[in-house]
Amino acid sequence: MAEVGKTETIEKKKPVIAVGDGPAIPSKEDVGLFTAWRVSMTGALAIIAYLAISKPDPYLAILKFVPDGILVTFQVTIEAILLALLIGLFTGLGRISKNKIINGIASVYVEVIRGIPLLVQLFYIYFALGRVVNLPAMVSAVIAMSVCYGAYMGEIFRAGIESIPQGQMEAARSLGMSYPQAMIHVILPQAFKTILPPVGNEFVALLKDSSLVSILAVSDLLRRGREFAAQSFTYFETYTMVALVYLVITLFLSKLVSIMEERISVD
Amino acid sequence: MVQIQNVYKFFGQLKALDNVTLDIYDSEKMVIIGPSGSGKSTLLRSINKLETIDAGQIIVDGFDISNPKTDINKVREEIGMVFQSFNVFPHKTVIDNINLAQTVVRKRSKKEAVEISRELLNKVGILEKANEYPGKLSGGQQQRVAIARALAMKPKLMLFDEPTSALDPEMIGEVLEVMINLAKEGMTMIVVTHEMGFAREVSDRVLFMDYGAVVEEGTPEHFFKNPTQERTKLFMSQIL
Repeated sequence: MAEVGKTETIEKKKPVIAVGDGPAIPSKEDVGLFTAWRVSMTGALAIIAYLAISKPDPYLAILKFVPDGILVTFQVTIEAILLALLIGLFTGLGRISKNKIINGIASVYVEVIRGIPLLVQLFYIYFALGRVVNLPAMVSAVIAMSVCYGAYMGEIFRAGIESIPQGQMEAARSLGMSYPQAMIHVILPQAFKTILPPVGNEFVALLKDSSLVSILAVSDLLRRGREFAAQSFTYFETYTMVALVYLVITLFLSKLVSIMEERISVD
Repeated sequence: MVQIQNVYKFFGQLKALDNVTLDIYDSEKMVIIGPSGSGKSTLLRSINKLETIDAGQIIVDGFDISNPKTDINKVREEIGMVFQSFNVFPHKTVIDNINLAQTVVRKRSKKEAVEISRELLNKVGILEKANEYPGKLSGGQQQRVAIARALAMKPKLMLFDEPTSALDPEMIGEVLEVMINLAKEGMTMIVVTHEMGFAREVSDRVLFMDYGAVVEEGTPEHFFKNPTQERTKLFMSQIL
């Protein structure tokens, strides 16, 4: 008898926010994509191994030269995503705010940022604002990336919060909770599940976009590759290796996101 | 306990509440009936300001909640509400559902909250489900969790918004039983429902609403035996 009365509110499937960016996150039901992931991953690793062994000069030399850059790429990505999450949370809350001024600020921020290419934003913060405040390249890079991704994150947070049934907020408020208390204890923990997959997707996209910061004298993976190529004139070999390393990293991260997503949907 | 005076509420062109005036006394049990869209839920939700009224005055437990300066959170602490769709928190276990507002709003210690929660779960008959997640519970059980969650705040007034309408017939009884016990303990209750059995057994007064206005009020016997208004007669014949 206990099974009979399950309600629609609880049973309803959580809406999925589809953000098309980065390599698609493979889920087990999606058989085609799943095998595509395997083919790409094993293929990339096999090619890297084959090149490094059969032609150590320059391929192995390249592999030894770029790890510093990989660390920088991860550093930029992780710092930017953390800051972007924070900006995104407040932007998302601003976008659903009934206060016209707060809502206006958040909406204009999203519109403006989404309308300007990331590369232009990077140049703007580093070179144009460089005349007013002189920020180190790394700091400019992280700020520009997070301000840009914060706008997209804001939309994800907004959609995630709006996916929670109205009744949850009403129930929390009817118990005497303030709006912030209801958000923190009731709405956001539930929205988290819906938000996580698109956030993971954004993380992968951000990692790829972080290659743009190589222009600002930040020694990330791409820039390290450029440095190596400039010394050895092995442009083809170097960029082949750089591309393969990026591919392996993003494929690995996509997989990680999909595992995390599965774990969460089990609970 | 509750004074409602000349209250109006509009949804666009629609008059959801049309000059409603009403007094609810301490420990009174009032049942509100009426066809869907008659404003009965809107009236109930106005009492804890889930709906904001457009004109008139509502005073609950001495607080004028139609005054924007009144701290509505303080007033809501004293008003329990039970919803048609339960609205239990699916990400928290049953006992944490009941603990949450006690610790966050009433600032009780975790230990004290757990004690009260267990006592209430026992009272509504689902203590053994304390550590389950609501998704594993039947509708009737979820609704009993929701009632316990509201009672944990030790409210002075309980509002029920069609608490059994989303339930399968065989689960209505278990929820009504909890409500009947609560009524016998002297809780002030305002209940929007179609369960005339409940109205007959515990209510002091029945209110019939239509098109946002109170059409008729009286004892349950009055409604069963000789309602005066034509609309009331028609409605009663449809639901009985």
